Amino acid sequence: MKMLIDWMDDRVGIRGMLHEALYERVPGGARWRYVWGSTLVFTFLLQVITGFMLWSAYSPSTRTAWESVYFIQHEMFLGSIIRGLHHYAAQAMVVLMAIHLVQVVIDGAYKAPREVNFWLGIVLMMIVLGLSLTGYLLPWDQKGYYATQVTTNIMSVTPIVGAEVQTLAQGGNEYGHLTLTRFFAMHAGLLPASLVAFLALHIMVFRRHGLTVHDEKHAPDTTFWPDQVLKDAVACLAVLTAVLALAVLRPAELSAPADPAVKFDAARPEWYFLFLFRFLRFQAVEALGLTFGAIIVPGVIMGIIAVMPITARLLGNFGHFLNRAFIWLMAAGVVALTVLAAWEDANDSDHQAALAESHRDAKRAIELASGPDRIPVDGAVSLLRRDPFTQGPRLFAQHCSSCHRWNGHDGRGSLIRDAVADGAIGEAPYTLPVAADLGNFGSRDWMNGIVTDYSEHFRWIQNAGWYQDAVQRSADGEEVEFLNPAGSEMADWTSGMTESLLAEENSGNLKALIEFLASEAGHAQQEFDPALVELGRQLAIDGNWAGDLEGTSCAGCHDTIGEPFPETPDDSNASGYPTMAGYGSAAWLKDFIRHPDADRHYGSRNRMPAYGSDQLTDADLDLLVRWMTGDYSPTEVADYPNQLARLNAGLAGGTTTEAPAAAAAEE
Amino acid sequence: MTNSSDEVTSEVVVSVQPDYPRRGIVRQAITAVLSFLLVAVPGTLGGLFFLDPILRRKKSGGNSDSGAVQARKDSEGYIRLDVTRDAIPADGTPVSVTVFDDIDDAWNRFSNVPVGSIWLRRGTDGVVSAFNSICPHLGCSVNFRRAENDFFCPCHTSAFGLDGEKTNQIPPRGMDSLDVSLRTAGETDSNGSEIWVRFCNFRRATAEKIEIQ
Repeated sequence: MKMLIDWMDDRVGIRGMLHEALYERVPGGARWRYVWGSTLVFTFLLQVITGFMLWSAYSPSTRTAWESVYFIQHEMFLGSIIRGLHHYAAQAMVVLMAIHLVQVVIDGAYKAPREVNFWLGIVLMMIVLGLSLTGYLLPWDQKGYYATQVTTNIMSVTPIVGAEVQTLAQGGNEYGHLTLTRFFAMHAGLLPASLVAFLALHIMVFRRHGLTVHDEKHAPDTTFWPDQVLKDAVACLAVLTAVLALAVLRPAELSAPADPAVKFDAARPEWYFLFLFRFLRFQAVEALGLTFGAIIVPGVIMGIIAVMPITARLLGNFGHFLNRAFIWLMAAGVVALTVLAAWEDANDSDHQAALAESHRDAKRAIELASGPDRIPVDGAVSLLRRDPFTQGPRLFAQHCSSCHRWNGHDGRGSLIRDAVADGAIGEAPYTLPVAADLGNFGSRDWMNGIVTDYSEHFRWIQNAGWYQDAVQRSADGEEVEFLNPAGSEMADWTSGMTESLLAEENSGNLKALIEFLASEAGHAQQEFDPALVELGRQLAIDGNWAGDLEGTSCAGCHDTIGEPFPETPDDSNASGYPTMAGYGSAAWLKDFIRHPDADRHYGSRNRMPAYGSDQLTDADLDLLVRWMTGDYSPTEVADYPNQLARLNAGLAGGTTTEAPAAAAAEE
Repeated sequence: MTNSSDEVTSEVVVSVQPDYPRRGIVRQAITAVLSFLLVAVPGTLGGLFFLDPILRRKKSGGNSDSGAVQARKDSEGYIRLDVTRDAIPADGTPVSVTVFDDIDDAWNRFSNVPVGSIWLRRGTDGVVSAFNSICPHLGCSVNFRRAENDFFCPCHTSAFGLDGEKTNQIPPRGMDSLDVSLRTAGETDSNGSEIWVRFCNFRRATAEKIEIQ
């Protein structure tokens, strides 16, 4: 062994090198406060290792970036850990860098003769921020896409060269393949290479001047190895444990694939940039122009930090005091703005709803990507575009939710509120639905509601303006045709027959009728009992009930009940009663949405607008109906929670708004 | 600590001592120029390549839109929307519409894909206006807030009236309106029901509305 070392030493001088590296003098003894630089070097090494591994599986293009990251995260061996380490170590690096900077300033380690090394450190900081910026876009998910849009748009307000800088960064005038290839080249090539170069200089110059020691008598002098290395190693191990724990317990998020045509309301920068984000939300800041808030202010702050060595040189101890005061002020400001931004978001119900949707889309995208059909060549983005579970709620919210609700909400999980009245405090009251809640449309519950308590089932209709108007007009003696849950033939039938229907004698029959009706709707992912269905069919058509109900059949009015909904529906056989042929099925629903006013449906009693293909394209109608009838690949993604109870409680008087008069009186 | 630097300097001094003849200066100059070229040529070529997004002139392909798009796009770039004027709420409530077109992205052409979303609105005077839903501030998505009856961007709280004018100090300009043409069977007709829109994106963060080509 010794021979081998001698041989090496003769040729490369290994002993001298090792000695120089390990036996640097540490005056005043090893201390915990010296560990920050080493933790940063370690974190960078971690990034290089995990980064290389991610590189070996990542494919930068708009149709493969999300897809390959998905594959790394959800299919490759240890992929989630490697990506998680890279994701969290990147954040750790920013935090450690901030600590390192604050400490260098408060310890005065930036002062002569260490100015150049301080500036090298600032260059390193810029490179690290560049790495985190370029890395955020690479997964090409909604989160990264929209957050990075903001950053590249900020670049464009740089005076004089802004537009060109933006074009160069993006690789064109708009985001596309080249944005990814360029960001990737920066992220994995140019920036890390520069970082290595500047880090080498930084460490070289650091070794030249040695540690900045305040208290040489703190402990006896020692050497870097092993005393300080031990402390550094413990600190690095703590960092590693933290990022590894995070990677395991909270795997890095991959939101839905980027889609420039899909609005993303949950856009936020990575948390360590929240303070800048919040700063740009101040109207007073924006009033001075975006360049001021996004370029000049951060530029001036960086400038003040960069000239700290000169400040200290010119003003002596007072300069050092100013520098320390400034860095503490900045730290406090950053923390305050970050907390403010997080607090505001936590209390912003719109943002929370947008976040919920973002998580739902993300999980669904991953579910579809790992489904039996995998990802088509046109990318994962097309999976979501064609998915009823993803598009249905959006279409419902856009087209239906001004009257209907879905389990109390607008389809996308939000309760709809009135406008905030002038002078009112707090949130406005919930808006009254004016048409049926369709959350359980076509289900056994729905059918049961119609058959046993029609008036209650369609009670929301009575909130509609047209309804109250029609009631008024008929009270005035006018002949008005309208749907009336409180007094129509169907309402009378259910109220008149409730007793017998709910009596012991018909309990089995009722269950069978419901089973039959639900099977006629035939929503996907449900099973029906064939014997019960058959019994229900006979009840519906022949009316062989027990007791008072005996002889009353659905078919007596709805003569097409039990038939499939016709492929080319027309009104030639309209009986004056809504058709029950395939009631609640996809075919029935499509026809009803297109022609609710047809005689086969509600005819002249209808008040729902007909949705022609100029309002709702065939493709969108198909997605909406498939969502409403459960016709999509099975999902384990949690749906939006049912909000009916909250809606009802809110409408029952638990509103959070104070009357304008009361608010005025308080002033 | 300072001693080490002294050592370094003395080493350097020792190595640059010899008494070279005068032609050495010429040789040094040539060497310097050659060395410079060795770095400068590949460096410049590489740098210019990196400037491709600004310098590139060649543009492959053309406007051979896919069949699906061709059928509803005219020579001026107006695209016919599925939605018609009569389908937009008469009370002025805006509707969100996705615009489909062919897009070229570097080496790919994506046929008939969603390229963006717009807000359409019918004024009480029957005039249809269209706005790009990208926020002119920093590029997030502008939403319609039913309760407030305005347009609002959830990123930096830019707010706009339904006419697209900005209502707070956050955005540098109002929402980007798009050229709308009402037609009947493809012919311009101010009472027509077909809505044709010339869809484009605009630079963000500028007070002036500048189209991105």
